[in-house]
Amino acid sequence: MASVTISNVRKNYGAVSVIHGVDIDIRHGEFVVLVGPSGCGKSTLLRMVAGLENISAGTIAIDDRVVNHLEPKDRDIAMVFQNYALYPQMSVAQNMSFALELARVDKATIRQKVDAAAAILGLEPLLDRKPAQLSGGQRQRVAMGRAIVRNPKVFLFDEPLSNLDAKLRVAMRAEIKGLHQRLGTTVVYVTHDQIEAMTMADRIVVLNAGRVEQVGTPLELYDRPVNRFVAGFIGSPAMNFIRGTLQAGQAGLKVASGAVMAVGAYPSEFAGREVELGIRPEHIQVVETAGLDARVEVVEPTGSETHVVVDTGGEKLVALIRRRMPISVGDGLSVAFEDGQAHLFDAESGQRLDLEHGAR
Amino acid sequence: MTSTAPLPALQTETGRPPRDWVLIGLWISLFVVAVIWIAPFVFIVFTSLKSTTQVMTTSAFSPPVDPQFGNYASAWARGRFETTFVNSAVIAAIKVPLGLFISAMAAYALAKIPMRFGRLTLVLILFGTMIPFQVMLAPIFTLVNGFGLIDTYPGVILPYLAFGIPYQVFILHGFFRSIPHELSEAARIDGASHFVTFRRVFLPVSLPVLAALFILDFVATWNEFAMALVLLQDREMWTLPLGLSAFQGQFSRDYGQLNAAIVMTVLPATIVYLIFQRYFVSGLTSGAVKG
Repeated sequence: MASVTISNVRKNYGAVSVIHGVDIDIRHGEFVVLVGPSGCGKSTLLRMVAGLENISAGTIAIDDRVVNHLEPKDRDIAMVFQNYALYPQMSVAQNMSFALELARVDKATIRQKVDAAAAILGLEPLLDRKPAQLSGGQRQRVAMGRAIVRNPKVFLFDEPLSNLDAKLRVAMRAEIKGLHQRLGTTVVYVTHDQIEAMTMADRIVVLNAGRVEQVGTPLELYDRPVNRFVAGFIGSPAMNFIRGTLQAGQAGLKVASGAVMAVGAYPSEFAGREVELGIRPEHIQVVETAGLDARVEVVEPTGSETHVVVDTGGEKLVALIRRRMPISVGDGLSVAFEDGQAHLFDAESGQRLDLEHGAR
Repeated sequence: MTSTAPLPALQTETGRPPRDWVLIGLWISLFVVAVIWIAPFVFIVFTSLKSTTQVMTTSAFSPPVDPQFGNYASAWARGRFETTFVNSAVIAAIKVPLGLFISAMAAYALAKIPMRFGRLTLVLILFGTMIPFQVMLAPIFTLVNGFGLIDTYPGVILPYLAFGIPYQVFILHGFFRSIPHELSEAARIDGASHFVTFRRVFLPVSLPVLAALFILDFVATWNEFAMALVLLQDREMWTLPLGLSAFQGQFSRDYGQLNAAIVMTVLPATIVYLIFQRYFVSGLTSGAVKG
């Protein structure tokens, strides 16, 4: 177990700056997920922690020891790559023991550690096979085994589940989380999949264009996103955004079409301000009366819930309905926002405006 | 159309698929090319078993009626094969593995170690493949002579290495670059030095392409004539191809013995080729397609 402290870290490739001063504190034994869209710098940051990329400015410390200039092998970390990076000509056992062999650990200890890791991951029957003879999930498990045998202070995962099919991904997700709970080692995990981030992380770091947008527990991020980017990135289906001007006297939000939507209470000083209102699909309800008039455009049943795209006079909203309802395309509905669930963001800066009775 | 309807475009009335004339044409041309390639070899083997009289009186492609196996023994002695064979074997045995090893190391360094001027170095090495060695024969002779290495093994091995390596670096560099960089990064995290990564991870992965280069280089080295002719003047140091010239006297021409000598010269290269040819083909494709 170890802490990882990333302080004001920057990365430049020549004149191009890709990481602009990132600060993250990762505590002992924590499972931290770096999440963000493609090109946000999350993998670069992980590779800097691993020692595979130079750090242009700032420091990275593992257990209070600055590791900026240490070789990867001296940082006491292990990394699992997206494409597994198993040595193709070596057997599973040889793949797992390679690092220990290079560290001149004696044969009996190597054997013991490999067996222990194989037992944890259920790899015992596969120890003599070559990577080519394994399925995707098995290969991923070998890659994890290779990391486990080294008993590192920190595990680094670089999108380890992206190459697996959907079902296996869910299974491996649980497996990695279970592994973390069992071993208690600090984990830094990179993914672009916010579902992975939400389900696995103790804390999530949302990155965008080389900057940290927000750090928090999954539910903090979901319930109280600090800006429009985080609000839109976390959650599936994504949050709905409606641009408009807040009216005086708690009247609601006046949208482009001229209609005024009821959005719950907000401080009176926000009146006249141009904002983006964010509402999660599950907080849009179908009501009998006194709602917004909407027309159904798309119906997507998933079984457990139904995603309905509705048009409310020019604004398209996605609603998530868990009840069985006879809804079909072209139907007219009345929808309303669940009280106190609207998020307000400044239209210019995208920063959250705190609501009096807003998000929890 | 129902599922039971016949497919007139794909089947003739007899129910057999129609003849693919392009495929037939390709097979015929393949056969013709094979015959053209094999013909000289058949000619050489047949002639090597004929006496001079038979060579003069029979057709080149008629099989020998009374095989003269003695031609091989006489050719062995006359071509001084016990000397030339050993010289060729020593040179090939040192030059081929050594050249491949150096090329592989250079290619690894150029492909996987970030270096200032790495690209320029590669271009300079590739430039070496563009110079025909015939142009360089006289300067090489002067150089090797200057080092006092005429009529020595190093005197011929070193120029062979110099002309072989650029081409091998070119092929291997392309191959190493196609190996995912995560593989070397994983090795680096596991604590492997560059040399260990090269030896334990890259070399085993590149066995097919190395086998292909081994064959090509072995055949080229074994058959090399011009440079050996210039650099090896002492008959005791001659290689097999030089030994063959002993059969080309001004007044005597024994075609049976000459061809027996050619067969013996070509045989080791052919055997090496046949042993490694499986890797040879997969090596060529693996370099080309592996993404």
